[in-house]
Amino acid sequence: MHRVLQQPFKTAVLVLVWGWLLLLVLTPNLLVVGASVMTRDPGTFLSLPLNLDSYRQLFDPLYLDVFLNSLYMAAVTTIFCLLIGYPFAWALSGLGKQRQTLLIFLMIVPFWTNSLVRTYALKLLLATNGLINNALMGMGLIDEPLKMLYTEGAVIVGLVYLLLPFMILPLYSVFDDLRQELLMASHDLGAGKLSTFLHVTIPLTLPGVLAGVMLVLLPAMGLFFVADILGGSRNLLVGNVIKNQFLDARDWPFGAAASILLTVAMAVLLLAHRLSQRRLGEEAQT
Amino acid sequence: MSRWLPKIYLTLVYVLLYLPILVLVVFSFNGSRTGYRWGGLSLEWYESLFNNHAMVQAMWNSLWLALAAATVSTIIGALTALALHRYRFRGKRMLRGMLFVVMMSPEIVLAISLLALFLLVGLQLGFVSLLLAHVTFCLPFVVITVMARLSGFDESLPEAARDLGANDFTMTRTVLIPVIMPALLAGWLLGFTLSLDDVVVSTFVSGPSYEILPLRIYSMVRVGLKPEVNALGTLLLLFSLTMLMLSQWILTRSK
Amino acid sequence: MKKLALAGLVVVTLTGCSSEEEPKVLNLYNWSEYMPQEVLDRFEEETGIQVVYTTYDSNEAMYARLKLLDESGDYDLALPSTYYVNKMRKEGLLEKIDRDKIEGFEKLDPELINLEIDPDNAYSVPYLWGTTGLAYDAEDIEGGEVTAWEDLWSKEYEGRVMLTNDMREVFHIGLRVLGYSGNSTDPDEIREAYEKLTELMPSVRTFNSDAPRMPYLEGETDIGMIWNGEAVMGKEDMPSLEYVYPEEGTIVWLDSFVIPKNAGNPDAAHQFISFVMQPEISALISEDIGYATPNLAARELLSEEVANDRTSYPTPEDLTNAEFQEDVGDEAMQVYTRYWEMLKSGQ
Repeated sequence: MHRVLQQPFKTAVLVLVWGWLLLLVLTPNLLVVGASVMTRDPGTFLSLPLNLDSYRQLFDPLYLDVFLNSLYMAAVTTIFCLLIGYPFAWALSGLGKQRQTLLIFLMIVPFWTNSLVRTYALKLLLATNGLINNALMGMGLIDEPLKMLYTEGAVIVGLVYLLLPFMILPLYSVFDDLRQELLMASHDLGAGKLSTFLHVTIPLTLPGVLAGVMLVLLPAMGLFFVADILGGSRNLLVGNVIKNQFLDARDWPFGAAASILLTVAMAVLLLAHRLSQRRLGEEAQT
Repeated sequence: MSRWLPKIYLTLVYVLLYLPILVLVVFSFNGSRTGYRWGGLSLEWYESLFNNHAMVQAMWNSLWLALAAATVSTIIGALTALALHRYRFRGKRMLRGMLFVVMMSPEIVLAISLLALFLLVGLQLGFVSLLLAHVTFCLPFVVITVMARLSGFDESLPEAARDLGANDFTMTRTVLIPVIMPALLAGWLLGFTLSLDDVVVSTFVSGPSYEILPLRIYSMVRVGLKPEVNALGTLLLLFSLTMLMLSQWILTRSK
Repeated sequence: MKKLALAGLVVVTLTGCSSEEEPKVLNLYNWSEYMPQEVLDRFEEETGIQVVYTTYDSNEAMYARLKLLDESGDYDLALPSTYYVNKMRKEGLLEKIDRDKIEGFEKLDPELINLEIDPDNAYSVPYLWGTTGLAYDAEDIEGGEVTAWEDLWSKEYEGRVMLTNDMREVFHIGLRVLGYSGNSTDPDEIREAYEKLTELMPSVRTFNSDAPRMPYLEGETDIGMIWNGEAVMGKEDMPSLEYVYPEEGTIVWLDSFVIPKNAGNPDAAHQFISFVMQPEISALISEDIGYATPNLAARELLSEEVANDRTSYPTPEDLTNAEFQEDVGDEAMQVYTRYWEMLKSGQ
């Protein structure tokens, strides 16, 4: 009796979720792959014949430079997030439980606040007549205002500011698990602080680091509005290039190819993440 | 010294994190038009915000959209989490994997792929296209929230219910739902906030028939320093703070 | 759970239906800050039609968006510049304008109608015209020195220059500095202009077409391009902002009302055009946002100060070497686009 009743419920749920994912994730992505091998058409956006021109265009030295630059900005962002976030998560995990909860809460608050508004708030600080310059000049530290807005540096500051919680949260969760047991054990066995850090802490937090890197590096290449607002509307990120192809220049195949490049980057990172987890699993078993 | 160092460091990072927000809130009460200088306390910008027709309309539109997107994604997400937790089925790993990939994909990739789909099937860009897109990116977050709750939950309860003759549907309704209710609410609130905050996906899949807040803000911010943005930002901050405290309260109370 | 699901359903159905009961709406797709709020309010008061104002910052973005939405009829009115009227008309993207429903067309400057871009104005009605010239902050830069586009290349302005975020305009100055026409379709000339512009790039701090006056007001840039109306508006807040007609020639453009194909509410669109064509309204617009009205009856109503402001209403000498923007065709556009992308990538 309950077999029969159980099946329709299960089937309905699975059909619903698979249907949704197939229709709104898989199909659209296949469409993008399709678009990337078609030819630009001024009238209908896309036309035949099929070819690999847009991929060739991606590796055109000029666009390649944009991608490398975008990758560089994203990498710098990630490194800053890691440099700030790693000691942060470590320090956080050493506090009392109640304080941890409160501080994590405070970390999430900005993440729940509109990201455009936060980017805009940075502009108030970084502008030539902005608060930082006013403060520095008021203190007599500088005579001329520093030109900070509309530079690559400003964009990196914006990206770090928006993405830092995404680095801290996964790191915090690994530190939280690991702190008490393993570190103590290693200490008991007579390992020095540095050696503990190098041989125990780093490898064990690696999955957290990789998760954080993934959560920061990929969005950092795509957040076009940060480059628009803080970078002076220059094409600093792959996201800007993709957006321009679709909403300005109408070169869909090229925009699609550029977005596939991002997807490939994601796949590589996901793979690295999995491998690191698997290795850790094996080590734990031996 | 070494005891204090971490604390000083933590404080420093929090100061940096909150400084821009603090500046925003303070300047939303600034009477001066030029944005950088202090011109006395004033509610001028809040007033001009609420007198702005298009802005108020966009606010309502955004709230409706977030409400609908959060609700739909919570329903689908919760059912999915239940299925993943309870059943064995073919392609289970693939389903998990796919949800994970959706969560990790850069928003812009999702955005253009959905745009391509909507254009192909001739769907008018507006409320429906926004809803479909927002549910899609909220879904994995809801699934994860609910799964986390389910994994810490006593397996013997549903077994007992079944032994007492309850079928799956009844069991779900009477035993599971009450247990995962806090996670549902937390997931719903997360979906609501994600939807309200989204710029990247909405830029691509919205049409003039349904203008939403983030895009209004985007066009204002691009024009330059507008004190109204400070006021709006403060209101949004207050709003998300309330939502977040609500969700934390729900989660901790249930423990 | 049931309640939640029910709530969800109610929400979906409610919002799904609400669009049918909404008051009459005119979807206006326009440049940022290109129509005073007062005009929109008065129109709504008079006709009961609510104007939904959505903005773009370049002709390309506007065109791409309209193409994207294709025949959905989402926009009722748009304001392309000169050359885009031509392009869109030829491609069949526009609805014919019913002259019988437009009041006041005869008041338009005869020199600004029946242009090559749209013979007989079958598809467009001129809204405003203006110029793109040089702006500088007299407090930070000695006056007199700045007379030509070429001056932007001076080393002392490094990191202080602003350009509009408009492909054709930026290439226009590159081409003019080299002595070519700003409407060049010759790939070699465009390439040369690109090369010339790359030398300017280290000086460029930002591109802005949403409100080109803002980087000057905010103190980020001291010299660069600006639209005349923006210069007028900017001078109100910053008296030291000067507008110059450059020696190589200013860029002249005319923005016209057009009705995109399948517009949902063409009647409201016609009504709105007629409303704007009233001399009193046209004069108000010109005084408020600083661009020149093509409406001769409105010009009579302008205050002395505005009518004699050379920034808004240039003298014939100011327009020496000036060039009207023209359609260059899709092939040349692709060449421009490619170089533009490269330029903005800062390579």
